[in-house]
Amino acid sequence: MWIWQALSGILLTVLLVVHMVANHFVVEGGLRTYEDVIHYLSNPFIFALETAFLIVVTSHALMGVRAIILDLGISPAADRRLKAVLVALGAVIVAYAVWLTGSVVLRA
Amino acid sequence: MDRTLSSLPVSEHVARASWWRRAAAWVDLHGRREGWLAFILMRVTGIGLVFYLFLHLTVLSTLARGRQAWDAFIALARSPLFVAFDAVLIFGMLYHGLNGLRVILLGLGVGSRRQAVLFWGAFVLSIVLTAVAVRMILMMG
Ligand code: HEM
Repeated sequence: MWIWQALSGILLTVLLVVHMVANHFVVEGGLRTYEDVIHYLSNPFIFALETAFLIVVTSHALMGVRAIILDLGISPAADRRLKAVLVALGAVIVAYAVWLTGSVVLRA
Repeated sequence: MDRTLSSLPVSEHVARASWWRRAAAWVDLHGRREGWLAFILMRVTGIGLVFYLFLHLTVLSTLARGRQAWDAFIALARSPLFVAFDAVLIFGMLYHGLNGLRVILLGLGVGSRRQAVLFWGAFVLSIVLTAVAVRMILMMG
């Protein structure tokens, strides 16, 4: 458990910095226009990178939520249900966000 | 992680320490205080970042509603209140990330004796880099 929190944390250090630099630091005015967002996400490499970030950050965040709830002390049965809920929630989040970025690219 | 005297098993404790050292350990917050503060801040920023992730993905749905919705959001994002919010967010990202690296090092058994210094390093660096980032935002906007 902790090892995944640590490994995803290390990955996030890289992906979060790349995300911030690519979306804000190198952008004139710090925020993209609508056309620029479409153009940015239409690059297949960028799309893959942002999707990787999405998956890693969602996993790390939901594993972190589980760690906090486990600290409150819950039964193994409750933990199994919690895991099922968090996995489903993670799948919904990733599906929604990929749908969103995918539909943006289709406007190009 | 925190190797204070009182964390030793009682038998070892008694065998090793004179009574005044044992008594001093009760009031000696050294190495415990930072560990505690680091942990609380880690947790608060972690929870905050999870909320922000939801908020961020929700806000980005304006992209699906077209150009006008997006422009309205960008205008809002340049308001002073939003920049203040950015400052809190950036500090949270920096502290959580830097302290996360500290926790990973400590977990690997690296730097345990310097854990308090590493905490203050992460904390101060987060504040400094937040100030730099806010300055950049103000100069850009
Ligand atoms: C920037 C790079 C990041 C690193 C290096 C990192 C590292 C870590 C580590 C090592 C832990 C375990 C802490 C412990 O066991 O005491 C952790 C916990 C956590 N992280 Fe991250 N993290 C990062 C980014 C994020 C982001 C972006 C989010 C949210 C979207 C997040 C949410 C959480 C949560 C909710 C926890 C559980 C909090 C706790 O146990 O106190 N993290 N992180």
